[in-house]
Amino acid sequence: MRTRIKPVAAHSIAALWRRARGPVRSGLLVALPLAAAAGAIVCAGLAWRDARANRAIAALEAGTDRAVGAEAPPELLLARIRFLAARERFEEAEPLLAALDRTGSADLRGRAQVSLANARLRQAFAKLEAGQLDPAAPLVGLARQAYRRALTLRPEAWDARFNLDVASRLVRDLPERGRERGEEMPADPKKIWTDIPGQPRGLP
Amino acid sequence: MRARATMPPDRMPSPARIARAGILAASVLLLTALPAAAQIGAVTVRSPRPFGLFLGDRFDATVEIEAADGFAPQAASLPKPGPLTYWLDLGSVAVAPGPLRDGNRLWRLSLTYQTFYAALDVRRLDIPAFTVTFASEAARSTTSAAAEVPSWPILVSPLREVQPPPVADPTEYMRPESPVPRRDPGPARALAWAFAALGLAGLALLARDRAWWPLHRRPARAFAAAARQVRRLSARSGDESAYRDALLALHRGLDRTDGRRVMGEDLPAFLARHPAYGALAQPLDRFFAASRAAFFGRDPAAARRHWPFPDLVATARRLAAAERAGAPGRAEAAS
Repeated sequence: MRTRIKPVAAHSIAALWRRARGPVRSGLLVALPLAAAAGAIVCAGLAWRDARANRAIAALEAGTDRAVGAEAPPELLLARIRFLAARERFEEAEPLLAALDRTGSADLRGRAQVSLANARLRQAFAKLEAGQLDPAAPLVGLARQAYRRALTLRPEAWDARFNLDVASRLVRDLPERGRERGEEMPADPKKIWTDIPGQPRGLP
Repeated sequence: MRARATMPPDRMPSPARIARAGILAASVLLLTALPAAAQIGAVTVRSPRPFGLFLGDRFDATVEIEAADGFAPQAASLPKPGPLTYWLDLGSVAVAPGPLRDGNRLWRLSLTYQTFYAALDVRRLDIPAFTVTFASEAARSTTSAAAEVPSWPILVSPLREVQPPPVADPTEYMRPESPVPRRDPGPARALAWAFAALGLAGLALLARDRAWWPLHRRPARAFAAAARQVRRLSARSGDESAYRDALLALHRGLDRTDGRRVMGEDLPAFLARHPAYGALAQPLDRFFAASRAAFFGRDPAAARRHWPFPDLVATARRLAAAERAGAPGRAEAAS
């Protein structure tokens, strides 16, 4: 008799619910404040971490060195990479760059490449100013590679495009000699020409 | 357009039959060369804007290749994303089959390039040509055909003048860097406040349910107050007056729950009105017996022997729990 079995099953479920309702209700009432307190603590910790990272970024931008580990937030990694690149401490920036490549967005990774490229280009300008053309050319090549990586990650970086144009006019790529295909080759120091008005100081 | 055919693997010749197989392969090649020529139709390159491109610009191209039905481009033959020349990157390649027309399918290749050519003037550059191999999708067939995508021109434009004005320091030519973006602690902070508010609300609900301070004087939690008082009194359980006070506290809890004075003989009526406490009929019965013995009996100490203090505390706690569980709706049936 299916018509009789069904109400019995429904009744037993209802009875089960009546028995379970009290413990379930009081358990939920205890669990809710505990879970909410845990969530509040975690979120407050995240907010505190962000605020602390912002303070460290401000200090690095002001020129005060701060130690930054590889597990730091990506924005802080970028600030430290920029700080190190501006002081030509490229070896120290390498592990941070690797960490940023793992955790950072394309935007931040592109910004880091721009920082490296700008530092290399400034180095190259310093060499040119001192009349050392041969060591300047590879630096320009490094800068151009970094700008290219930056623009691959972040095509909207118009400042990087402008600086790449500046760097490209220092050392031109010459398309002959089988350079139609493949990765960019290191710039040939003999093929340098510059748009710096006037000859670099120290040359006849 | 080219076409070629190779031997199916299952017809690979044994060493003894290499010479005959070579002749056979040559004849297969001759037989399939003619139909294969028609396997690839027109190849069209379309670009929405192949001009006015600056250094670093991305631009799209669509290549439409007509191929005989049953032929599909081989993924390995598509150009790979990455640097193509010293001034050109291929960003992405996607291939999608189009509609079928006169037995030919229109395959559409979507390519995204990025130019890095630092132009001094407007300059015409050629995007390199490439070849896509189409293979027959029929089982056991190894026929393939190659579609030649021709090179096509773009016009790149310079970003700045040929001869910039002279400056004292060449680094002044460079554009300065924008400040490092900051982290935004706002969402995490807002979420933390929301969780804190939720936690406080949950705590208020819990305090109301358990009749904690400052919600401890609610009539709906009379047994909770009684249980609390009994627990306090149990600290000096050796004291005769503490036992009597604990009994009185339970009496008060019963009275406040029912809204009237409940005596021993009223118990069945009380349980009928409050079925939530149905399971506690026996302990309540013993409670009334102990109360009668303690207040009106000849030997008040006998009450403690029959119903010791720990039982009293346990009963009070169970009453409070039943009160909480049966609070909403009072739907619990007496069993």
